[in-house]
Amino acid sequence: MIDLFRDTYRYRELIWALALKELKIRYKRSFLGFLWALLNPLLQMIVLALVFSTVMRIGIDHYAVFLISVLLPWTFFAQSLSYAADSIVGNADLIKKVRIPKVVFPVAALTSNIINFLLSMISLVFIVLLLRYPFYVTWLYLPVPFLALVLLTLGATFFFAALNVYYRDVSHILQIILQVWFYATPIIYPIEMFGKYQWIFKLNPLIFALNGFRMGVYAGGLPTGKSIAASFVCGIGALVIGYAIFRKKQDQFVYYV
Amino acid sequence: MSITSDGMPDNSIVIDVENVTQRFRVYQERPDSIRALFAKFFRYEIQVHDFDAVKDVSFHVGKGEMVGIVGRNGSGKSTLLKVVAGVYRPTLGRVTVRGTIAPMIELGAGFHSELTGRENVLMNGLLLGYSKREMKEREQKIIEFAEIGDFIDAPVKQYSSGMYMRLAFAVAIEVDPDILLVDEILSVGDMGFQEKCFERLRRFREARKTILFVTHNVKDVEEYCDRAILLDQGRVLLDGKPHEVIEMYSAITAASHPHEEVLEPAVGQ
Repeated sequence: MIDLFRDTYRYRELIWALALKELKIRYKRSFLGFLWALLNPLLQMIVLALVFSTVMRIGIDHYAVFLISVLLPWTFFAQSLSYAADSIVGNADLIKKVRIPKVVFPVAALTSNIINFLLSMISLVFIVLLLRYPFYVTWLYLPVPFLALVLLTLGATFFFAALNVYYRDVSHILQIILQVWFYATPIIYPIEMFGKYQWIFKLNPLIFALNGFRMGVYAGGLPTGKSIAASFVCGIGALVIGYAIFRKKQDQFVYYV
Repeated sequence: MSITSDGMPDNSIVIDVENVTQRFRVYQERPDSIRALFAKFFRYEIQVHDFDAVKDVSFHVGKGEMVGIVGRNGSGKSTLLKVVAGVYRPTLGRVTVRGTIAPMIELGAGFHSELTGRENVLMNGLLLGYSKREMKEREQKIIEFAEIGDFIDAPVKQYSSGMYMRLAFAVAIEVDPDILLVDEILSVGDMGFQEKCFERLRRFREARKTILFVTHNVKDVEEYCDRAILLDQGRVLLDGKPHEVIEMYSAITAASHPHEEVLEPAVGQ
């Protein structure tokens, strides 16, 4: 685990350059360029807000904010995983030619998605203003669930990136997994809907970090200490397991990519 | 087998390859899909065999030496270079490298076509383990050497193959590593630039830097190398003076292709 931090620190400039490269390429040749990273989530949220405040009325107060507050971190998680699953295979050219710690590729993929996420949070500020929803002071707490989410995502990222080297089916299966996971997570619905069966949802390691976002932005409260602890147990657990698998296999990647 | 030029003391050995074997597992049908995994699981049908691209190879390279590696196609030259570069961890044996090392293996491997020349120079330097600051310091020299002018700020996909190659060569040589690994690259590019590359390599050597050089062009080996190593089927056939090695190389090439002319006959002797 220490070598993960050591390599990340030593190659921080490379990781940053790779992350920027990914973003640059994503928005290359578009007139608005980088601005899309900001506009895209903003427009999406406006559509959602319009739909749920006028067309479909749901018995939840300010449903748009309720939804978006967890939809953004979810999107971060899902997109990071999709990108990172290809991060080793997609950089086969480099891996076969230069000696470089393999961790830089998933970490760079995650970094570019963190940048994207932070930009989408700016859009969230706009939306909340637009909807005249109150800004709770609990926004200040958001870095905490975000950190737990990043740890969890990084762990999952290592796992899928390594697995995809051996079985290319993984990147396809992952899309299905993410879809099921999306509906199995209380994102579009409140967990309270399920009354005494709520405990089933708590088997989902993602739920604790996402809960922090919904509490902070929508409810204006803080999660219980137990929930915060659970979010970090899940995050650190995922990272330890995911990285252990990645590390065990990384010297073999060059033969399979 | 360990020859250090001019009887230099042993502590000046910068590349030490000891009994290295590099084994590849060749799948008749690679299980790169779940289907194949199932097949493997239920029927044990996937045929595997091991193939040693490099077999029990040992040699040393002393500081300041330029060593040519020659051999027919498939003799393990490039694999050996990648083992030295650290891309492969050897299956058996050990490789010790002292000093910074820059592989010029397949030029421009790290280039991304959408990024500009300048961005790619930085990226390539970072990939080789240099810092952003170090690369900024060298940037001007790299651009000058590559003779690329204003194109440095254009995406490299707009480059001619010559420009692409010149820039990649310039990055590898101007980062000024202690050890340079060169794989068959000087055969591209026009005469003028080739000349310039060799001139630069000469200056590189004057600074007591080390070059490991894979090529098919025996004339370059004869002209520039202090020593040569002949590989055949993954083994070292001969490690010695360039003209001896070239002579033997020509002989085995002639033996395996009796009807073909040897393009570069051994010079002299």
